[in-house]
Amino acid sequence: MINSLLEYWPVLWPTLAAIAVILAVVPFLGLYMTFIERKVAAYVQDRVGPNRVGPFGLFQAVADGIKIFLKEQLIPDHVYTALYFIAPAFSLITAMFALVVMPFGPVATDYAGGFRFMVAPGIDIGILMMLAISSLSAYGIIVGGWASNNKYSIYGAIRSCAQFISYEIPLGLSILGVIAIAGSLNIERIVAVQSASILDWNVFWQPVAMLVFFTSALAETNRLPFDLPECEQELVGGFHTEYSGIKFVLYFLAEYTHIVTVSFLTALLFLGGWHFPGLPGPSGASTLVLLLGLLVLLVKVSLVVMVIILLRWSLPRFRFDQLMGLAWKGLIPLALANLVGVAVVLTLGLPKHLLIATAVLPVLAAYYSATKFNASMADENISKKGLSPRGAVSYE
Amino acid sequence: MNPLSIDPKNLPLVNGEQFQGNLSQILLLVILLGTAAYLLLQHGLVKSKMMAWAGGGLFAFAALMAFMSIPMQLESVVRICFSILAVAGGVAFITAREPVHAALGFATAVLSACGVMFMQSAYFIAAATMIVYAGATIIIFLFVLMFAQKSNLQWYDVQLIRPVIAAGVATSLLFAIAWSVSEPGEILPIKLDLTRPYSLAAPGSAPGQALPPVPESTMSQAQLSEFVPAKTSGLGRSMFTDYLLAIELAGTVLLVATIGAIVLAQNPERDPS
Repeated sequence: MINSLLEYWPVLWPTLAAIAVILAVVPFLGLYMTFIERKVAAYVQDRVGPNRVGPFGLFQAVADGIKIFLKEQLIPDHVYTALYFIAPAFSLITAMFALVVMPFGPVATDYAGGFRFMVAPGIDIGILMMLAISSLSAYGIIVGGWASNNKYSIYGAIRSCAQFISYEIPLGLSILGVIAIAGSLNIERIVAVQSASILDWNVFWQPVAMLVFFTSALAETNRLPFDLPECEQELVGGFHTEYSGIKFVLYFLAEYTHIVTVSFLTALLFLGGWHFPGLPGPSGASTLVLLLGLLVLLVKVSLVVMVIILLRWSLPRFRFDQLMGLAWKGLIPLALANLVGVAVVLTLGLPKHLLIATAVLPVLAAYYSATKFNASMADENISKKGLSPRGAVSYE
Repeated sequence: MNPLSIDPKNLPLVNGEQFQGNLSQILLLVILLGTAAYLLLQHGLVKSKMMAWAGGGLFAFAALMAFMSIPMQLESVVRICFSILAVAGGVAFITAREPVHAALGFATAVLSACGVMFMQSAYFIAAATMIVYAGATIIIFLFVLMFAQKSNLQWYDVQLIRPVIAAGVATSLLFAIAWSVSEPGEILPIKLDLTRPYSLAAPGSAPGQALPPVPESTMSQAQLSEFVPAKTSGLGRSMFTDYLLAIELAGTVLLVATIGAIVLAQNPERDPS
């Protein structure tokens, strides 16, 4: 055993190092994203935010962490104990396991030895693996809500079920166009295809795909416009009503890990990953270039994270029928139309930048739903009979 | 016509290890497993639950022994762990009294089977199974079970009415699978039409960037014969060239099912009065 470990050490240590980086950085990131979120919320609401602990309140996150670790373990009498404990852990495990196939820095597609910014480089099905693992993250919420044996928790869990199943479809459909043109499911390769110039970034010829992907990925993170599984006004705390202390933190660490994953995926799939005009690719590059690539990627990711946090403080929560309508009547047709466009361009061998024309699709969809909404409001017969106006679901 | 002379043994899709067993060994294994399943299904018929579990465990152990006697290469500890976990999930699925526990047992079995597939380098199938079964189907089961949880369970809800038939059907299915796996037969070579690169547009790569190889129509016959396709794209090519008719038929069936679901799910028209 020891001998074989020594024998495999040259190929083993980059993987172990990448795992160590992820295990060390993700909880830290989660802790500090709560801090950034509170600061941003404060500025949005014209407050100052946490500013007492350390310079600019920077140690507030650490203080919160210590407080939470020292909290009492409160287990309600009526829960199903085993599943009650497993659920938050499973939630975090799936959230972090999805990072296995995600490059968090420049990875060359020739996979030379040495440290790589990725745990499992060269997996043939990269993005599909990621979708598969993140589709499991619903279990943590569902099982937790059920094991809490509480009406509010179970309503939260049921809402979460429906939301997850619905939004997985546009999530998968939206990236099909990107995959089809890259000719691979491998994330490193999809990034490498965007390397030639800034106009090759997928966002410039798949704007609809990016919109649909970002929206449905946001829905999978249970963040504010989509946080019906835990909405306070209706469900107390939703699926985590009975959770406190470290178990509650596991759930929220999972949520912030999801945000990090979504931001990385958006940056990698649509914003060119570690590529920036003038910066050479990662294959055979010097350490400085690799670090610059890492910096470029991290800047893009933090921009996306910022957008996600600001969205939370600018959009109101959806009603449940609006949530379902957005997925089934809005995002899925948009993603399908986009996919048809990609198929036409690929089959006829046209230049892929013609696909920028798909950007009119959301505008058309918005116009269509607005006219439908107005028509339904104008229809007095329906409102007289006390039925809900048809089509009064805003899509965007 | 197959443009490539690919030796099927070199293809990553098919080089699993050979399962070698004779009929008596397989029969013994299947009968022992079937008896174990029958005993595990006995809620209430055998009065003592402990008896049923002990008997089931005994027969499962005997089946494991019979399994070990079949010469097989099982070099990977991780794969054995996944297999044991899959069997445990299956046992939990058929024995759990709480429907949610049963669904979670099913999920465990499916995920462990995906783990076994990963160990066999069948990445695409494993990920697809994870998405379709663990990620969507079982979650819908849970969704329905949660709505039904508060109703009073009757004896016929928690107990199988005819465990003999259930165990018999399962045993014969198991026998069919074991027999078809163990039968030594020629594995047909995968016919890959590499001269038609669908959806493999040349990516704009910057200088100095090596990409994993894809088959090009400009490649010579010698180059093509040395080429080992990536697993997923090879699977896709095979699906949409060799098995096109089957894929289209399956797609049509699914489309019809979708239309049927939409028709069934429509609200009945409201009475206008």
